[in-house]
Parts: sequence; structure tokens; C-alpha cells
Amino acid sequence: MNTKKLSLPLAVLMGIALIVVLFPVFWISMTAIKPPTDWNASPAIWVPSEPTIINFLTLFDPEALGAYGVGGVSQAATKAVYGSILAAMVATALSVAIGLFSAIGISRYGNNSKATPLIILSGRMFPPAAIAVPFVIMFSNVGLIDSYTGLIAIYVAVTLPFSTWMLKSFVDDLPREIEEAAMIDGRSRLSAHLTVTIPLIKGGLFATTMFIFILNWSEFMFALVLSYSNVSTIPVQLAKYVTATAGTLYGVQAALAVFAMVPLVIVGYHIQSHLARAMTFGAIKQ
Amino acid sequence: MLPRSSAPTTEAQTIGTPLPSRRGLGVKGLTRLLTLPGQIVSLMVLVVPLLVALYMSFTDWSPTRGTLFDATFVGFENYSELLVYDKRFVYSILRTLLISVVCLSLEFSLGLGLAVLFLREFRGKSLLFSAFLTPMMILPVVVGYTFWMLFQTNGPINQMIEFVFGAQATLEWFRSAPCAVTAVIVTEVWHWTPLFFLILLSGLNAIPENPVRAAVILGASPRQVFWRIILPMLKPVIIVAFVIRSMEIIKLFDEVFMLTRGGPGSATETISLYIYKLAFNDFQLAYGAAAAFIVLVGSLLLIHLLLTPVRNQIMETGHR
Repeated sequence: MNTKKLSLPLAVLMGIALIVVLFPVFWISMTAIKPPTDWNASPAIWVPSEPTIINFLTLFDPEALGAYGVGGVSQAATKAVYGSILAAMVATALSVAIGLFSAIGISRYGNNSKATPLIILSGRMFPPAAIAVPFVIMFSNVGLIDSYTGLIAIYVAVTLPFSTWMLKSFVDDLPREIEEAAMIDGRSRLSAHLTVTIPLIKGGLFATTMFIFILNWSEFMFALVLSYSNVSTIPVQLAKYVTATAGTLYGVQAALAVFAMVPLVIVGYHIQSHLARAMTFGAIKQ
Repeated sequence: MLPRSSAPTTEAQTIGTPLPSRRGLGVKGLTRLLTLPGQIVSLMVLVVPLLVALYMSFTDWSPTRGTLFDATFVGFENYSELLVYDKRFVYSILRTLLISVVCLSLEFSLGLGLAVLFLREFRGKSLLFSAFLTPMMILPVVVGYTFWMLFQTNGPINQMIEFVFGAQATLEWFRSAPCAVTAVIVTEVWHWTPLFFLILLSGLNAIPENPVRAAVILGASPRQVFWRIILPMLKPVIIVAFVIRSMEIIKLFDEVFMLTRGGPGSATETISLYIYKLAFNDFQLAYGAAAAFIVLVGSLLLIHLLLTPVRNQIMETGHR
């Protein structure tokens, strides 16, 4: 093992960077366990003297804060949590499944047009607010507005370039000889891909699924403009708390933020070796 | 690419040549089957709305005027109105560009510095690596909300300023334009420096050792090695990082929405926020669509310029 200590100035530099990176995470976590009296204290309280889980309980039971004499939480976050889980999971499964077939198609039989990546990229560049406009119009005509079906359809389309390109880079890494051998053994092309290609990129498939889940779970703007009363997601609910209560519910909001953040950080650490590939459409492999 | 001597047929050596099989679907049928679902989704959910938006941008349609087909065709009126008379639109573009340039320069410098530190071995390296990646895994909305709390007048950032510089140095972050823009930039830089760090570090790790060794043997100073050898070899990776980040930061919305809603006044109103307000607060949908297409054409040109010097290298890595 080649482990050394950093020289003192570098260690100090590293320490400062670490504090800067972790401080906001520390702050939101501390706010989530502050009792209502500490939420907006002046000067701000860094570490609550009496930590509590009341904020997390309030997410699912609006009356819970009554014990502290604080009312006015109009809405539980239950629907938003349910909505986020439903939309993110279904959209991720569909996006990865469709992306997987496209990836095999492009990698093994594609014409390798140099324009394709640029077309995909330009799709990513269009401001979502503008794509949302025709969606709102079309969806209100066919009754898909304020429905999970509509939201999921958009999520699948928006994440499809990521899942296709990331999976394509994993299929590209696989030597073609393995599939050829299966075909020479008498398998059809499709069956060779289903029984040989897909099992061999299992790791990549898992990383892609997790990454697409992160994207879907984080999405905000489409959910904001396409949801009224039936549909809600955690990011929309978080924004609503800010408007509805003019910032008086710090602790509850922070609890929801932590609730939304924890699964992503866990998932993110698991796939960190694939993140560079994911964020660059497979252009950079780690 | 390495030559493959063991390949059964010579044709199979080039990518894109059909794989050999006598059973099942032919190559054409299979290709169609595999790529069809993706094409249908992209067509229905991306191309069709884009075309609708494009048509809409040439009309004066708004939801109060019946269906889209009843709308009057106005030609380029929306476009000329936006570019010539709409100061708020032009300022939102300039503002977004300014925020982008400042953020990307800071993110690049900090990310590169951090990546260089991570080239050496030290105790706890992998733990620190994970810790430094944390911000980019957090939802943009949560990042925006967290920094909104940090920048409160009685929040911890002002507390620290008071501790170091005294009470008269504290700021009302969301009340003045320069402070609010600074808050947005700090938030963005905190959120996305890890991406630069990650991409640049994997680029640095992929640089072959021989040219570096040769330069050291020939007497190059560490500074010369960095500027003359390492940085030029890192260029394609740097450009990939900039292209990816430019695409995202041009659409900057979630964090600003949570932090300032574009305020005070329109001091932090980005392009996306302005289009959002046009379409969903003022219901000027046709006008908003025209604004979006101006932005799309502009950003395509920008990315094209950025990509030109390294197009071949990037396309090769993307297509390997």
C-alpha cells in the first residue's frame, strides 16, 4: 500500500474544501431535527439542543406539530412522496428498457452517423420551459394533464438520450466476438443479444438504472407545470411549502429535503465510478 | 482499434457490419425492432412538441383565443419584438451568459485544482473523493432551498461574516441585485464544481506517463510539464466538460426558482425563468415559444463553436 500523509498546507487546503462541501448538507440536516422554536431563531442555532423527529412526522401527519402549538400545515407530503416514487420508478424502468434496445441496435447495427450525438445534444439544450408549453397544450386536449401517465411519458423521453448513450458505451466495450460465437452456435441475433449481451453488461445496466432514477427523482420543472391537484412530486411539494407559508415552516421543509436527498446520495455513492460516463453521454470512461 | 486476427470473417472486423447468424430476423428487421420504441418515444414526446412550438411561435395564439388552429399567423413578429423591443428578454440572455461565464470559470479552476491534488496518493483518498462528489448527487431544488436558508439575513453565512468582519458587514442577500446574483453563483459553483473535478480527474488519470517522464528527464520543471504537456493533452476532456456544463447552465432554473424567483425585480431572472414566467404566469405562450427558439439557435451556435477544435477527438471517443 502506497499511503502517505499530505504535507501540512495541502492538508489544510483539503480540510477547508471538505468543510465548504459538507457545510450545506450539515445545515439542512440540522434544520430537519430542530424543534419549531429553533427554526428561525436569531442568531441562527447551529446544533439544536433538543433534537426532534417531529418535522419528519409532520410530513405524513399535518397535525403532529400541534404539540408545539404550531398549526397551519395545510397538506401532508404523503401524496408527493407517493407521486415521486411512482413516477421515478415507472419512468426509470421504461427509459432503461427502451434505451437498452436502442443501445444494442445503435452499437451493433448502427450506421455510426457523426451527426447523431449532436442531434441528441441539441435535444438536451432546448429550454424545458419551452418544451413544456406544447406539452401543456397537447396534454390538456387529450386529458393527460395532471396525470401520472403524462408525467411519466415526458420523463421517459427526457431521460432516453442518457440511458441510450450510457448503455451504448457499455455495449461498445463488449467484444463482438462473444455474440458472434453464440450466433455461430446457432442462436438467432435477437436471442444472442438477450441471452449473451444483456447478462454481460449487468453492471452497466444497474449503474444506468440508478443514474436515470437520480434524474427522474430530481426533475422539477415538468412536474411543476403539469401538476395541479391530482399529481404531485417531492420537488414540487418543496417549492409549494416556500410559497404557501412564506418560509415559516423551515423545519418541515428541511425534513422533506433530507427525505428526498438521502436515497440519491446513497445511490450516487454506489455508482460513483460510473458518474463521469453517465454525465458525459459515455464520452468519458473512468 | 486493435486488429482482430481471430475474427471469423474479415467483414466482421469493422463496426457496423452485420453479425453472422442464419436464424431469426434479418439485420434490417432486427435493427428496426430494436430502435423502433426509442424512435417512437422521441418522435411523440420531443419532435412533435418541438414542431408544435415552432408553428406556435409564428402565431399570436394564447389560451383565451380558442384552439391553435384559429390563431392568426403573424410571421416573424414575435421574433422581432423579442430581439428589438424586449429589453427584459435581452437582459435575461446577457445575465444568463454572465452567470454562466463566471460559474464555469470558477468551477473549472476549482475543479482542476482539486483534481490535481487527487493525483497523488494519500491516506483517506477514496473517502475524500466520495465526499467531494456529494453536491452533484443532491436534487437541484434541495440545493436551492438549502442555500436559501444559508443566505437568510439571520442565517449562518451572515453569522460568519459578522464573526470575522463585524455586524456592519452583514448583507441582506436577496434584497440587492449584486448580492442576489452572487448568491446564485455561489450556489451553482458549490453544486457543480464536483462535476468538473470528476471529469478532469478521469482525464488526468488517463494521460499516458511516457511523455511526462520524457519531459522530466529532459529537464522540464513541474510547471512546464503541467502547462506544456499535461494541459494540451487534457484539452478534449476539458472541452467535453465545458460543453456538458454549458448545456445545463444555459437552462438554469431550479436553483434560481428556489433562491430568488428571479428577484429582486428581475435581477436574477435567467432565460428559463423568463420563458417560464411568460408562458405560465402571463400565458403568452406563442411569444414564449419564439423566445425558446431564439435560445435554442443561439446555444447550438455556441456549442458548435466550442466543439469545432476538438470535434474529431470527441466523436471518436463517443463512438469507440
